[in-house]
Amino acid sequence: MAVLNCQSTTQEAPHPEYQRFVGDIVFDTILDKKDFKVCNGEKNMLQYFNTGEGFKYKGEKPELVKKIKKNFKPVVGNENQNGFIRIRFVINCKGESGRYRILSSDFNYEPKEFDKAIVNQLMALVKELDGWETIAKNNQTLDYYMYLIFKIDNGRISEILP
Amino acid sequence: MKKLVAILVLLPIISMAQPNCEAYKYEGKMSLYKACKKAKESQIFYQFTKQYQQILDEALKIDSTYAYAYQAKGYAYLKSGDFITWEKLLGKAVKYDEQQHLGYRGWCRYQFFRDYKGAIADIERLEEISKWDIGVGQNGDYHLTIAKALCYKAMGNKAKAIDIIEKQLKLEDHYIGLYDYLHLGVLYLESQKLDKAIAAFKVQEKENTLADNEFYMALAYKSLKDIPNYRKHLQKSYDLYQKRRHMFDPYTHQMDRIFLSDIAAEMKDTTFRQEKGNR
Repeated sequence: MAVLNCQSTTQEAPHPEYQRFVGDIVFDTILDKKDFKVCNGEKNMLQYFNTGEGFKYKGEKPELVKKIKKNFKPVVGNENQNGFIRIRFVINCKGESGRYRILSSDFNYEPKEFDKAIVNQLMALVKELDGWETIAKNNQTLDYYMYLIFKIDNGRISEILP
Repeated sequence: MKKLVAILVLLPIISMAQPNCEAYKYEGKMSLYKACKKAKESQIFYQFTKQYQQILDEALKIDSTYAYAYQAKGYAYLKSGDFITWEKLLGKAVKYDEQQHLGYRGWCRYQFFRDYKGAIADIERLEEISKWDIGVGQNGDYHLTIAKALCYKAMGNKAKAIDIIEKQLKLEDHYIGLYDYLHLGVLYLESQKLDKAIAAFKVQEKENTLADNEFYMALAYKSLKDIPNYRKHLQKSYDLYQKRRHMFDPYTHQMDRIFLSDIAAEMKDTTFRQEKGNR
């Protein structure tokens, strides 16, 4: 999986060389902070929805949306800044986040590179989010994957998902 | 921990019943029959696992037109937000069995990616080619026609959305979705049709009472300057929210969903506070 940080690119082509789970993000010594650790081992990382509680952020989704939209500066005047940008990352058992990866496409789901002014802003803002809650089962806090998808219309954020 | 993972991954799974392999055999489509039998072996594995994906790849090696296998491979990509791979897989599923997979793709385009145009295109195409009712979205909460109406609303065409929902709800065989009347009520509220909004919210309250519904009902009463009912329904909204009786989807957030911060902000309104103080 070729991955570039802070650049808009695609990294996951359908191919038969699967990892443990679809979308697993392997620690990268160049891209990732060395002090970000998962607690329960790589083989036990789950997805945000696996406990059935959904998206967990302090103040719920409006707080997250407010933080991002308040600080995002639209990039207008540069044509063709339309499509989806996904930032996927890991949240560990302490609620810390790391291993951010980007995927982007146009509205026809074709791979597309966005203006770096958009991508770099989004990446910085997502890294600043500090309200992620832990998920747990049977009193054990878990490490899990989370993602945010930004719908970009003419250089502006029109929606944040999920 | 292994046991824990095994239990957790069996939790909410969006999937689709696998086709009946024997039907392919009956029709003499032996290659599809063999692919189907192979794909069935994937069902004991979690959708994100290597084993699950590899078995479906093997099924597609037997018959590359076995549409179900593409959709099944796509579940994990959908739920991890990989819209590029998911769309490619669903493109093939639709290519090989349009009628069976258009509704699913349209629903997911709406629910996961808020791709309103894409969702409408799929649902309307399904309406064209389907001889029967087009059915519900993958989680069963919405009829696809209601989902289509919400897409029109999101694109700014509220009148069309109202018209579509009103017609759908009048059908004798319409199975009322979890949030049908809530969405209709919100559309009326946003169109300043307050009496109709309250009537819809009352139906929703009876069918499936939710904090979201009570919140919007409070706003409708506030617009009508019926302050006692405004206060009553806002308080009820707060109480229901505390009990987690609000719109919920483990993967995404529904349109018209309200949050505790919305209720709290409304409760700071002087209209609510004064009325409460005067009791």
